[in-house]
Amino acid sequence: MAETFAHTVPVEAHAPHAHHPELSFFRKYIWSEDHKTIALQYLFTSLFFLLVGGLLAMGVRFQLAFPGAPVPLIGTLLPSWLVTSAGAFQPGGYNGLVTMHATVMVFLVIMPLLIGVFGNFLIPLKIGAPDMAFPFINALSYWLFLLSGIVLLSSFFVPAGFPASGWTSYAPLSSHAQYNGTQAGQSVWCVGLFINGLASIAGAANYITTIINMRAPGMKMFRLPLPVWALFITAILLLLAVPVLSAAAAMLFCDLNFGTSFFSASNYGQPLLWQHLFWFFGHPEVYIMILPAMGLVSEILAVNSRKPIFGYKAMVFAMVSIAVLGFIVWGHHMFVSGMNILLSATFSFSTMVIAVPSAIKTFNWMGTVWGGSIRYTTAMCFALAFVSMFVIGGLSGIFMAATPVDLFIHHTYFIVAHIHYVLFGGSLFGIFGAIYFWFPKMFGRMMNETWGKIHFALAFIFFNCTFFPMHNLGLNGMMRRIADPMLYDHLQSSQPINVFISVSAFALGLSTIPFLVNFFYSIFKGPKAPNNPWRSTTLEWTVPSPPGHGNFETIPTVYHGPYEYSVPGMEEDYLPQNQPAPETARVAAH
Amino acid sequence: MLAALFLALGASAYGAPRTSGLWWMPDVASKSGEQIDQLTYFIYYLTGGVFILTQVVYIYFLIRYRARRGVRATYLHGDNRLELVWTAIPTAIFIGLWGYSNHLWWDVIHTESPKDTMEIAVTAYQFGFSFQYPGATGKLGRSDVKLISADNLFGNDQTDLATKEDFQSGVLELAVDKPVRIRLNSRDVIHGFYIPEFRIYQDAVPGRTIDWVWFIPTKTGSYQLACSQLCGSGHYNMKAQIEVVSQAEFDKWYKEKVAAGSASSGNSPASK
Repeated sequence: MAETFAHTVPVEAHAPHAHHPELSFFRKYIWSEDHKTIALQYLFTSLFFLLVGGLLAMGVRFQLAFPGAPVPLIGTLLPSWLVTSAGAFQPGGYNGLVTMHATVMVFLVIMPLLIGVFGNFLIPLKIGAPDMAFPFINALSYWLFLLSGIVLLSSFFVPAGFPASGWTSYAPLSSHAQYNGTQAGQSVWCVGLFINGLASIAGAANYITTIINMRAPGMKMFRLPLPVWALFITAILLLLAVPVLSAAAAMLFCDLNFGTSFFSASNYGQPLLWQHLFWFFGHPEVYIMILPAMGLVSEILAVNSRKPIFGYKAMVFAMVSIAVLGFIVWGHHMFVSGMNILLSATFSFSTMVIAVPSAIKTFNWMGTVWGGSIRYTTAMCFALAFVSMFVIGGLSGIFMAATPVDLFIHHTYFIVAHIHYVLFGGSLFGIFGAIYFWFPKMFGRMMNETWGKIHFALAFIFFNCTFFPMHNLGLNGMMRRIADPMLYDHLQSSQPINVFISVSAFALGLSTIPFLVNFFYSIFKGPKAPNNPWRSTTLEWTVPSPPGHGNFETIPTVYHGPYEYSVPGMEEDYLPQNQPAPETARVAAH
Repeated sequence: MLAALFLALGASAYGAPRTSGLWWMPDVASKSGEQIDQLTYFIYYLTGGVFILTQVVYIYFLIRYRARRGVRATYLHGDNRLELVWTAIPTAIFIGLWGYSNHLWWDVIHTESPKDTMEIAVTAYQFGFSFQYPGATGKLGRSDVKLISADNLFGNDQTDLATKEDFQSGVLELAVDKPVRIRLNSRDVIHGFYIPEFRIYQDAVPGRTIDWVWFIPTKTGSYQLACSQLCGSGHYNMKAQIEVVSQAEFDKWYKEKVAAGSASSGNSPASK
């Protein structure tokens, strides 16, 4: 079946770049329909949002370490909903910082970096297609994403400022202006997420169509590189989950502004309905934010171990089962929400089961490095760290999956530690690795490896110093989202841990500087990159760095799976997908 | 390095007194909390063991299989027997763990509380908690969430005679070793009912009464009830005092309250 789908879209419409007339500046860099330019637009925009989200986190950590102290330098310049006249954070403003830090990081950083950047850049290049199936929709998706970011951040300037009911925005706090005091900010939040959802849906439809229809001849589904598989499954999750959030955001907007009562306790509304809708989106969302990183990391591990990925099909089936099970575990966010307690037992079971495919993936990654010839590039360091950090994040999840233990640690810093091990130590480390790995293809230049490793070492150390002790704060009983732990008897003794975490967090923030300097310097001054600097097998490395408009001079033919490294009987230790195996090579049938 | 850190943090603090037990759980002070701690420790040692085992093997691989001149990587696409092994073993462990955990969930939450359980109504609001105790009848009066308002925090149904006997308190006074069941309500938004020492958490949801949370305090002392669900600008300081005292002290407090209660609480028909 895979064969019949492949290549059904005529490629003449996107002939190689030689046949294209020179595009105007506007069509080339602003309203570009080239998937590579769109990927770079996503990259620069979401790196900017990463700085914004990071600064918000610095504000959160400052307040927790030094509650009531004026914010240094900028304190008195901040608006009155955020700080007191002395320049110290207000409790309500602190809630706004927490809310916007998470919202920005989830919707404007991790999702676009993984899906917008690497989905756009890699899918056509890796499957041997000249571009996406719907280039216009692809461009539209980026501009909608940018608009959603501008809308969300504009809440800084509205009366009463940032939305302040958490990124989960539980109703009826979020749905009643008299309870949250931030009607404008909360409304802006709904609108921003709705637009962001449109961008995600447009992107997802595009990816699915492209992967099904535009694979080069010979690119069977089971010859797809794992990042493409991961992005394909992620796109399906997006298409099914995001509309639920959009609908919920629209309902919340109506409750806030038009007097409807979907989520209010009176007038036949139901507060828990919000949580069910939000987490029905929210749990697949967790996998949307980790599956692409898993795919990217799998490839970096295989290339730099000079080995085929261990258990390719097991990796694919594990991702498929994560996607399916991901839709029936949302209730584990709600064990203590007041939902029927029999349901908790059911959701606890499905949650334990979904841990299995994650375990399978971890063992396969270990199998991949086993017997390898490991090159410690910066990309590889981040990918290797991803595996360890993901193991910690996965194991700490088991505590919460056990319903009675969740009674104790639900809504404590234990969950904050857990989510950051998965999303920072996991997703963001995967993203850093992928940027170092694909930078040569994106910009035609190499990044500096020494500075890359300095960045890695600092990020790794300070990440763990920041987030590991949060497990202990959680066990200590420190609640999430409280602006001043010193007000609680049981938390005063653990305040030194908060100070330690904050100092580490500031250092973690600063560790981004070597990365940014390296990144921007290398774009202009880095050494020129060859076509295939890492000696990889997949199709994007067979074209120039950066590839021209239309990607391939002629559409390639694919002869083998994506990870034929160290094939016996060959001089070179890699066999590109578009080259037939030499007679002497003993390629395994699998 | 991480493995050592993970172990050291737990081991060094285990059983340490609260004043220096900065890194670990506060001493448990309820009966179900003791059972929950056993499960927590079980998962802690299980995951700690898995973590150390996988990381030691992983780091060994990373050193042993570093690139060396003239050494080629092994050409291997996988091994189906191994896949089967590392699918089956985690599946068995996770399902077993679910069995243990769910058994305990049943014990802690689903079981009927003992006959001598005292029921206390708790209403959370922006930004505080209020408590209502049964009066001389020993039984809380009927209440209805639809009746909850600023004047009637507990939604008391005045047609029930028992309601008139009930009295209210700003402190959660409890007798040690005496089972307590919570009738949990919220007046406005969702709040959290969280007592770390009792290992108990439950959301209070407006529009519904949650009556399945019960516990037995096992140690006298002062504790704090904290809201752990973001509930607005005053969330950071939403808490209430809990006093667990001996049965004799509790009886004395209770008698005084009952005597003063029906007169001062807002429940008498006259004040309505």
